[in-house]
Amino acid sequence: MIATDGLSLEQAPPLDLPLRLFLTAPLFAAAAGVLLLWQADVVLATRWSPAALAATHLLTVGFLGMVMVGASLQMLPVLVGAPVPAVRPVAGAVHMLLGIGATGLAAGLLGGGPWPLAIGAATAALGFGIAALGLLLALWRARRRGTGLRGFPLPMLALMVAVALGAMLTLALLGWLVLPRLLDWVNLHAAWGLFGWVGLLVLTVGVQVVPLFHVTPAYPVWVVRRLGPLLFLALLGLTLAALLPDSAGIPIAQLLGALLAAGFGAFAVLTLWLQAHGARARIDATLLHWWLAMAALLGAVGCWALGGSTELMGLLLLVGVGVGLPSGMLLKIVPFLCWFHLQSRQVALGRFDLRIPHMHRLLPERGARAQLALHAAALVFLLAGLLQPVFGRVGGALLALAALWLLALLVGSASRYRAAKRTLETTSAGTG
Amino acid sequence: MSDPATITETLTKDHRDCDRLLSAVSLQGRKTDWPRVVRETEAFRAAMERHFRFEEEVLFPPLEQVAPLAAGPTEMMRQHHGQIRVLLDDLAAAAAAAEAADYVGISETLHFLIQQHNAKEEGILYPLADRALAGQGADLAARLAEMD
Repeated sequence: MIATDGLSLEQAPPLDLPLRLFLTAPLFAAAAGVLLLWQADVVLATRWSPAALAATHLLTVGFLGMVMVGASLQMLPVLVGAPVPAVRPVAGAVHMLLGIGATGLAAGLLGGGPWPLAIGAATAALGFGIAALGLLLALWRARRRGTGLRGFPLPMLALMVAVALGAMLTLALLGWLVLPRLLDWVNLHAAWGLFGWVGLLVLTVGVQVVPLFHVTPAYPVWVVRRLGPLLFLALLGLTLAALLPDSAGIPIAQLLGALLAAGFGAFAVLTLWLQAHGARARIDATLLHWWLAMAALLGAVGCWALGGSTELMGLLLLVGVGVGLPSGMLLKIVPFLCWFHLQSRQVALGRFDLRIPHMHRLLPERGARAQLALHAAALVFLLAGLLQPVFGRVGGALLALAALWLLALLVGSASRYRAAKRTLETTSAGTG
Repeated sequence: MSDPATITETLTKDHRDCDRLLSAVSLQGRKTDWPRVVRETEAFRAAMERHFRFEEEVLFPPLEQVAPLAAGPTEMMRQHHGQIRVLLDDLAAAAAAAEAADYVGISETLHFLIQQHNAKEEGILYPLADRALAGQGADLAARLAEMD
């Protein structure tokens, strides 16, 4: 490790840490798919059904939570030169806590009783809390150099608000806390989770990585600098409006809702426009995942503007954006990390006589395209399921298949990595 | 007249120019014009090599002198350059052999590696260099254009 004046440019964390999170996450998306296959009629009928609440938490805490933490552990050292302190125990604890949390929350919300719910909520809160603390601490240390991820603390703060509200709701559900206007608090919890955490994270990371990876022009400065904070303030306003009497609160909430819809809509349109004008025109599974997710985001904005159902909006945001974008990202980040660690090993051993497998050999493009197709089909069938539950069941099965296929591709990449690493090491030991 | 460009501005722009050279190489299935791919790959490699040589020969030595603590990061960047050069060789080999699947896979791997490397330079090393070298920075940056 090279550390000078708190400036450390050492390589990313050990490969097994992010991989552990990335290879567990799809299981929770698959579980949500199975739940839909089993109870699509109930899940899609109303977001208040136990099964819908359970599926939502499998996707947000289990899938999104793990992918986000894994990706952040990886990205922060690269983008701001700030490694997360005590990364091994932090990653291990967060992995375990989010896993137990998602499972417990889903079981508890499905009617498994107060204990799974209490344990699930407590472990999920602890897991997210440790993750956010580690990430914010790393950013704090890098603040003087902070050019890369200026907006990054906002989604983390939004996540903390969503977690705090979730903990409060759990106490209310368990009867340990009296919470008047419970539904308002549920809406705020969902808004901070979906728009604050997921939405702002996609925005913050998107304005950084889209221009780099798709070689597009940069986003306008106001989007990079101001849009995130503006939307965060809108969420704060929305929270305060819930405390006002309805006569004042409702118009304010509608106005701020319009601001959120317009802000995220503008981001989606800009992203599609930039990607259409990018120099790197190769259309691959990840770019298609982006297009599909941005279309789903625009669909959700349209649904909001037209007063459509929250179930439709939730489906578009949770599955369209929340499952699609991270899947597309994993299809690139996992083979790249495997390749990167292989090449570092190759350089360390000086084995330039051996060729190491590049990204597409680690994770074949054809497999990635099939994953995208399964995901797109799942989304279409789930949307159709809002009208006809039998389609929802098919959609659930496809969602599970897409997640398991994603997992198979990632595991394939990891095992090819191990095989290539063994070749590097054994042949070098054999030849001296 | 505008201020002379800083190291951060000049080298960040050069990164983007290199990115565009790699992105501009297009394969069109069986109709791929391989001699052209070889030429464009060479142009990209030459641009990357110019950038690396500027950093290693012009920028890093004075930076290491005025800011001895920067020696760690610059050494790390030199190692990255070595890793990127290995892939540049592989890419040129795939172009020469007209291996489309390998070319696309190596090109993407290289693109990711370069972005990861650039993020560290643009976010950390260049701002450090601008601060440490102060007025000298702009003069150094101007020498990039003079390199062949």
